[in-house]
Amino acid sequence: PLSAAVAAAPPEGTMSNGVYVPPGVANGDVKPVVSTTPLVDFLMQLEDYTPTIPDAVTGYYLNRAGFEASDPRIIRLISLAAQKFISDIANDALQHCKMKGTASGSSRSKSKDKKYTLTMEDLTPALAEYGINVKKPHYFT
Amino acid sequence: RAGGKQASTPADNYYLARRRTLQVVVSSLLTEAGFESAEKAAVETLTEMLQSYISEMGRSAKSYCEHTARTQPTLSDIVVTLVEMGFNVETLPAYAKRSQRMVITAPPVTNQPVTPKALTAGQNKPHPSHIPSHFPEFPDPHTYIKTPTYREPVSDYQVLREKAASQRRDVERALTRFMAKTGETQSLFKDDVSTFPLIAARPFTVPYLTALLPSELEMQQMEETDSSEQDDQTDTENLPLHMSTDDSGPEKENASVLQQNTSLSGSRNGEENLIDNPYLRPVKKPKIRRKK
Repeated sequence: PLSAAVAAAPPEGTMSNGVYVPPGVANGDVKPVVSTTPLVDFLMQLEDYTPTIPDAVTGYYLNRAGFEASDPRIIRLISLAAQKFISDIANDALQHCKMKGTASGSSRSKSKDKKYTLTMEDLTPALAEYGINVKKPHYFT
Repeated sequence: RAGGKQASTPADNYYLARRRTLQVVVSSLLTEAGFESAEKAAVETLTEMLQSYISEMGRSAKSYCEHTARTQPTLSDIVVTLVEMGFNVETLPAYAKRSQRMVITAPPVTNQPVTPKALTAGQNKPHPSHIPSHFPEFPDPHTYIKTPTYREPVSDYQVLREKAASQRRDVERALTRFMAKTGETQSLFKDDVSTFPLIAARPFTVPYLTALLPSELEMQQMEETDSSEQDDQTDTENLPLHMSTDDSGPEKENASVLQQNTSLSGSRNGEENLIDNPYLRPVKKPKIRRKK
């Protein structure tokens, strides 16, 4: 069976028209993740939506990197993606903060105080999940 | 920038305004997430991350775009960049439609930082059409314009020939006059000695002797080589003949120069006993052994 599978893999991999398709896709196990069709529609919706980061600021940083945007909606897409990136990290840090609060077994009568403060101790493990390692030096006075 | 008051240039202000906007954005995102307050270090970290995220997206999207031989990035380039950076693209439309959204006003439109008037000199070249406007301006023209401090030499053929000819004539004249002033002179006119001095001709006792006798160089050649013997002899005989028949012009100075050449060569042989300058010695050809 093993050798048969290995022998069968190359013919499955290459199709007759020369396009390489991974063997998993032909089986239906692996779905292609990215297709741009929904995003094209989404891009049309972006015209009336203003992301939090102003276009001028995003455009400034993109220009510094050499990116000259022809379409202002592209800039909005990028600013939206950057926003989402930061909010995901912020949400993870919030969950860390909540976990630390409730794990110590505070009373359930009053819910955990609404004032959550983002500290580096919460941010560091949240960033570590993304592969970003932040090391702050200990304060020296 | 973080500590103490430092004098900031317009460029710094321009940069700082945008960074402050990013900080405000980060703060609003944190508020959206549910935080009431945050540590300054945490906000700074997130601001730095946001800035480098945007810059990296721009750089990477541009690279992907140029990888396919294009200059204008499109949606596909950005999607590929997002995928490469580990971003889940499918969740993006859902995120955009979330309820609590905050809008931040743009920073005040300030001009690009310019160099102070005192330092600029001359008009900068405007951007050609293929360069986007957000690129920095060209430097002052005095930084790259060079003017040679010498005039270009005249390279016209006619002028050069004239110059060469007149120089040669002047040199000949000066030299013969120098010879006339320092050596013996003869004069054409009986009473007026100084107007047209001629270099005195030193007649040899046997005038044809130099024509018949080979010079030292040729004597060496005669000893060493067999075949060139007769050629050299005929050469030395022909040379003075040619020179004497070259008397086409009635210029007496030419004749005097001729005489002067022979006298010089004669004097040179005599002077060899006194001055042994290695650079003035005649050329010594290597001896070729003849097998008998």
